[in-house]
Amino acid sequence: MSIIEQLVTGLGVPNFAVLIPEIIVLITAFIVFFIELFTKNRALITATTIAGLLLALLSVFSISQGDITLYGLYIVDSFSLLFKAFLILSTIFIIATYRPYFEKKEIYFGEFYYLTLFALLGMMIMVSSPNLVTFYIGLELMSITIYILIGMYRTKRKDLFDYDYKSKEGAFKYLIIGGVGTAIISYAIALLYGATGTFDFMEIASLATNEESINIGLLAGIVLLIIGLALKASAVPFHHWTPDAYEAAPTPITTFMAVTAKVATYAIILRVMVEALPYVSEDWSFAWALLAAASMIVGNFIALRQKNVKRMLAYSSIAHTGYITAALAAPTGMGFAAFIFYSLIYIFMAIGALVFLTAFEKNEGWTNHIDDFKGLAKQSPLMALLMLVFMFSLLGIPPTVGFMGKLGVFLALIGSEVWWLAVVLVIMSAISAGYYLRVVSVMYMYEPVKKLSFSFTGAERAILILMAIIVLILGIYPTLFWNVSTTMSSILIASIGR
Amino acid sequence: MSIPYEYYIVLSGLLMVLGLIGIMVRRNIITVLISTELMLNSVNIAFVAFDMKLHEVAGQVFVFFILTIAAAEAAVGLGLIMAIYRLKKDVDIEKITELKL
Repeated sequence: MSIIEQLVTGLGVPNFAVLIPEIIVLITAFIVFFIELFTKNRALITATTIAGLLLALLSVFSISQGDITLYGLYIVDSFSLLFKAFLILSTIFIIATYRPYFEKKEIYFGEFYYLTLFALLGMMIMVSSPNLVTFYIGLELMSITIYILIGMYRTKRKDLFDYDYKSKEGAFKYLIIGGVGTAIISYAIALLYGATGTFDFMEIASLATNEESINIGLLAGIVLLIIGLALKASAVPFHHWTPDAYEAAPTPITTFMAVTAKVATYAIILRVMVEALPYVSEDWSFAWALLAAASMIVGNFIALRQKNVKRMLAYSSIAHTGYITAALAAPTGMGFAAFIFYSLIYIFMAIGALVFLTAFEKNEGWTNHIDDFKGLAKQSPLMALLMLVFMFSLLGIPPTVGFMGKLGVFLALIGSEVWWLAVVLVIMSAISAGYYLRVVSVMYMYEPVKKLSFSFTGAERAILILMAIIVLILGIYPTLFWNVSTTMSSILIASIGR
Repeated sequence: MSIPYEYYIVLSGLLMVLGLIGIMVRRNIITVLISTELMLNSVNIAFVAFDMKLHEVAGQVFVFFILTIAAAEAAVGLGLIMAIYRLKKDVDIEKITELKL
């Protein structure tokens, strides 16, 4: 009997049937790598990537039976499958905008495609981790790949040299601050391991059952874990990398970071907090409440003074981290449902707003400055109308879905009697009107300053129209998404103490 | 007589803080990158020390993951430093910053 046979009989074969989405994404990444190496056929690269992602999306829906596999290191349940489906879906939309933008800026590299797929793989590993080891590996696969993606603005055009350098600087800042986050998270894992002797979420939960069982090591571990996760999700006061990295990256990559990576981070925050530390929720819910309040206040107030719309959206994403993590201040089924609901609808609003910038940035003379938006309603009425829908949704005006997301968080906070945070949420939403509505007002109430000619690809139009329709339909009929979120939160709560 | 494990934890904590201070005060981007590596490696000491206390090996397995990730991060960081140096001919943080509030 060979060593491998002994291992297999001793440990058992992992259930690969539930890992098919990850395997498809990984294989697609390698196929794209070799196509890029040998043919450099751009249409083929895009088509292969999107076909692989669609196949992975289908295989997510084909899994009917969840499982804990890979020797207890990997969990496939409906929570992780739901988030995987949405992560893959958003990546498909973002990849469809890659090629026209990169060709226009002369920064086309095949590397963008397979690095995006590797980052997606890291996120998929992250959302289905029942164990701190898997969580750490997924998080780092995502982060390190994104550092590279930000710094890849390498153009031959002399007039874009400034952007070339800025992307390196943004990537380096994110690398250093993200590296500090990595070190803090690994120190947190070391302290949790030292206090409990295990990496498994369920076993940690069974050891940290009440206030008395928390010793100084465990407490320090929890605090550092929250700091590290807040840094990765760019909550104030650990947000300093966000505006620089978001502004410096090529806009499709900004979309990928601000939407897909963010949502995966939210998902893992929820899973770690609920599954690993369910019995000490009073402590972490207060910590998240403070971080959420700081994110809302600082994000919204700094966004007010931004002239660059891309940077403004970066601060608005910090504010949205505040709105979403505010739901954790109410550690109840309602709060978790509001958290999941807001994370899912945020995908559509943010993809809409950022793909809009991608589409316009392709045109010569467009700099994302607020003055460029002047008179857009006259030059390109459909696009201006779509942007209006996304801005209203990010602001939270009914009948867009942003209102429903904020209402859910608000009701959850009221239900748990966290009045001060609910008040902060409402006041800060009102203040955020100052910058979202300014974009709308300069589009509709000014005469055009520059004479620019705009051209858009069919994919960009289709994505923007689809996102606007989804935002409006979900705003009028949020029941489907709300039911899914409620089911997920009850499944998550039921899994405590499994 | 063996040294108690708490001493190693204190050492790793000190190295962690030292790395953090290094990131905040140093001006050279290479030193800043090395400081993040110092922070990551201080965690390894903590893992090995906790394994002394728990009489297990799981922490030492985790050390391998941290080493791999630190190496990947250093590779990306040094690549970025090379790119920055080619464009700016400088490694001083104060002089190369263009993205500001």
